[in-house]
Amino acid sequence: MSLFKREREAIVRNEYAEEFDFAEIEEFVKKADKRLFISYKFKKEKRLLAQPRGGFPTYEKMFELYKEFQKVDTDIFPLTIDSHTRLNDYATAKKMLELSEENEVDMLNGYPLINHGYKTTRVMVTHFNTPISLRHGTPDARLLVETALASGIFEIEGGPITYLLPYSKNFPLDKAFLYWKYVEKVCAHYSQFNEPINRESFGALTATMVPPVITIVIQLIEMLLAFEEGVKSFSVSFAQHGSVNQDIVTSNVLKKLSREYADKLGFEDTEIHLVYHQWMGAFPYDKELSATLIDMSTFIAALVGANKIITKTKEEAFGIPTKEANAQAVANTKYMIRILKNLPKINDEEEEEILEEEVRSVMEAIFNDPADTLWRKVLNSIKKGIIDVPFSPHIINANEVITVRDPQNAIRIYEKGKVPIPKRCFEYEKSKIAVKGGRKAIVDKIIKDIGIMQ
Amino acid sequence: MKVVTGVVGNDIHVVANRLIEISLKERGFEVFNLGVNTYLEEFIDAVIETDADVLLISSLNGEAEGWCRDLFLYKQRFNFDKVTFVIGGNLGVGETKAEDIIPKYKSYGFDLVFHQIDLNEGLDILEKYLKEKRS
Amino acid sequence: MSKLLIDVGSTYFKICDNGNIEQYFRNFDKDISDDLMDTCAPIIKKYKKEDIKICSSANGGLSTLIIGLTESFSIRYAKHIAYNAGINIIDTVLYPKIEEYTPPFEILDVVIIVGGIDNRAKIFDEKLIEYLKNVKYRNIVYVGGKNDIEFLKKRVPEIKVFKNIIDNRLQINEEELKEYLTNLYQEDIVGREDIKHLYKITANQIYPTPYVVNKALPFVREKLNAVDPFIVIDIGGATTDIHYSRDLVDENVVMESEYDRLVFKKLGVYKSRENLIFSAKNNEFVYELLNYLNVTENIFEENSKESLKILMQLAIFLVLYKVSKYHELYIDLKLERLKSIVITGGIVKVLTKEDIEAILDFFYKKILKHHLIPSIVIDKNYEIWTIGMTKGIQ
Repeated sequence: MSLFKREREAIVRNEYAEEFDFAEIEEFVKKADKRLFISYKFKKEKRLLAQPRGGFPTYEKMFELYKEFQKVDTDIFPLTIDSHTRLNDYATAKKMLELSEENEVDMLNGYPLINHGYKTTRVMVTHFNTPISLRHGTPDARLLVETALASGIFEIEGGPITYLLPYSKNFPLDKAFLYWKYVEKVCAHYSQFNEPINRESFGALTATMVPPVITIVIQLIEMLLAFEEGVKSFSVSFAQHGSVNQDIVTSNVLKKLSREYADKLGFEDTEIHLVYHQWMGAFPYDKELSATLIDMSTFIAALVGANKIITKTKEEAFGIPTKEANAQAVANTKYMIRILKNLPKINDEEEEEILEEEVRSVMEAIFNDPADTLWRKVLNSIKKGIIDVPFSPHIINANEVITVRDPQNAIRIYEKGKVPIPKRCFEYEKSKIAVKGGRKAIVDKIIKDIGIMQ
Repeated sequence: MKVVTGVVGNDIHVVANRLIEISLKERGFEVFNLGVNTYLEEFIDAVIETDADVLLISSLNGEAEGWCRDLFLYKQRFNFDKVTFVIGGNLGVGETKAEDIIPKYKSYGFDLVFHQIDLNEGLDILEKYLKEKRS
Repeated sequence: MSKLLIDVGSTYFKICDNGNIEQYFRNFDKDISDDLMDTCAPIIKKYKKEDIKICSSANGGLSTLIIGLTESFSIRYAKHIAYNAGINIIDTVLYPKIEEYTPPFEILDVVIIVGGIDNRAKIFDEKLIEYLKNVKYRNIVYVGGKNDIEFLKKRVPEIKVFKNIIDNRLQINEEELKEYLTNLYQEDIVGREDIKHLYKITANQIYPTPYVVNKALPFVREKLNAVDPFIVIDIGGATTDIHYSRDLVDENVVMESEYDRLVFKKLGVYKSRENLIFSAKNNEFVYELLNYLNVTENIFEENSKESLKILMQLAIFLVLYKVSKYHELYIDLKLERLKSIVITGGIVKVLTKEDIEAILDFFYKKILKHHLIPSIVIDKNYEIWTIGMTKGIQ
């Protein structure tokens, strides 16, 4: 038995998981309807696809949610996992699932996939025959991803950086890299049997004042790490910044450089897609204003030529939305996409040149690290602050970068910490900033900048 | 002046935490930020290791009380005469009144208690307090 | 040409000759190198000095006392560094309460003093000097804040000073202290008369065994098919070592190595047998455990093959219990997340997989209330040691 196979057997042997029949699962993937594969849908339908967020603890409620999504012809369904499962605490997830099943109250903020198991979940997945995307936030997602793929969930979101730095304080980063390497390998493995499994990075990160250079670098890195293990279909992503022009610039640079770096490292036979997150920051405490914000996001997603948009609801500021509200949000987004035709292609040469130079400079610093593997180069770069994610709770993150918005709401680098932003670019960034009122004012400015959409 | 800060207990409000850090630095403090999910013992030990003048604990999920009640025990154990203990944020669950909350936290050993007060306003009060304490 | 690998342990030594491993009990009436030559001269003579690699744990490791300012930073960081350098911690002293501590009786190889960030007022005073008067030590080192250096150098002239292990972000700074302790360990090995003679056999540096094991861990995944997160339990004649994946602990410390080490000093099946029995008898689950293994308490008095087997099973149980959340230690390992337990050391010659499984079954069902146990990896042929000797150290 190969090492990888033995490792997989050890991973799926778990107190809270059902027994895995790998031969049966492979057979299932081989014969699975192509409509379950988002990579297939991307190929077939060259339009902006819409995907909501959502997950409930019980099977019944999850099924009801999907039924609601089906009514509005949702392109891609989400499966959001509860926070106990994300921390590999399946014992608590089990208890809370039982309580949720006995009472009418939801004791979990998502679907505990491990406890439900793949056999049960697969019944639901194949019933709707729509591609499903796994949304979680787990540093060690090995068992979770095995279960998802066995269930027919053929898109896996996350990555060692994007699912760690925004969520965890002290999970060891080296282990996160190794565990995600396993995830990539399993995705690559199943990709041989039918359409490829799609991997998607979580470019929204902390969704708080992250400058485009950091987002793009992390997108490129997670994409390359997935391709290294044999993944063939990957989505890079980012979230609405707050400045339309910055979204356009980010999209143009991200598209160009992702293809360029993939080809340069010998991964020409791969598909790269672009995902756009509707505004991920704080929403106004007003449903009608929220609806307007969401419409604006959809417009930008279409404008930047994204392949998929991930939707929010107008109830965002008030907690978990009802299934009806969630479906309505998809319907509105889809309507907007349908009527938006013939959008102009825009670019901003100067801004793109600056951003591209920044990204290349950081990438070069990462590649110049003396470690022998890419993941170790990246690990060292994070330790050194070459990659620094604003508002990350993780102890390894340098937390030296400070960003503010310019008068056009674009996020600019105010302090660059140890991120190797070339002098010319940093001067450009600084020249855009206009903070009045001395040093004390900077914090008021940041507070205002974070809450810009409220 | 040195300040140890962080968010107490099972609280993950990183944005507030980082803003406090930046504000304090801009005001000229030397800041030791323990981040989110920090426990009282770590706060106390950080104050000792850094010889801090101020411990500024923040809490936003309303669960600070259970985590901070034991402050008076540490104050009995070690000599913290020169240290100013501050707690701020959202200090009670639901509709709790400041007049009920403030005396309670003061009885645990906090010198300044800010319940639902604007960050800069709170830090202005702290600076004034420290100035008076010195003179 | 292949290398000859030799491990000198506290109770036996083992020799790896072209992949073939043999073990011999030590004869304590003889000098180590004489003992070795008497038993293995024909093998040793086949090799050139350059092709013989030796590691040793015969001295049982170095002992240290840590005097630190707080538990969460000074003492915790020093403990991490000491354990990973292969050093046994005899005791720790919380400096603000130093007057309440009795100095250890034994002679310590090194005393580590630590406290405070660099930019901080003086910490240490006459209380420390008073305390140190009653401590017997060979080396003393200071790795704390800058402002105490002058005082300490004046009052403790032999003190060595290295970079503060607490940096300005209150994070750990391992490098200098780790290097010093590792070197000290080397010097100690080299300095021992009987081991010194081993250099007549080898032209290579003699490494401490725990260091070799730690260097092998990143390869264990592949070579032994252990799945992360895993622990390695190495039960020896005098001490028991645990090496664990760092994601099994919830700690706000960024360390260099993916794996951390912990030592239970008086927990071995030969030299510290009495101590093992003593801690077993004080464990609330031990009678149920003996019952489960179908033996009585009398087994402790016996000196048979059967009693040795039971003692080893007990050692595994005690070690797991001590690192679990049911026991106060400076770490709690999340054992419910564990995927593999790797067993290595002399124990694998005595216990079968079934014996180990029995004890894990008991521990997981009784203590953790789990039905599935982690996969058991038995390092039958001392592969961890051979990997460490060939790949870990160059």
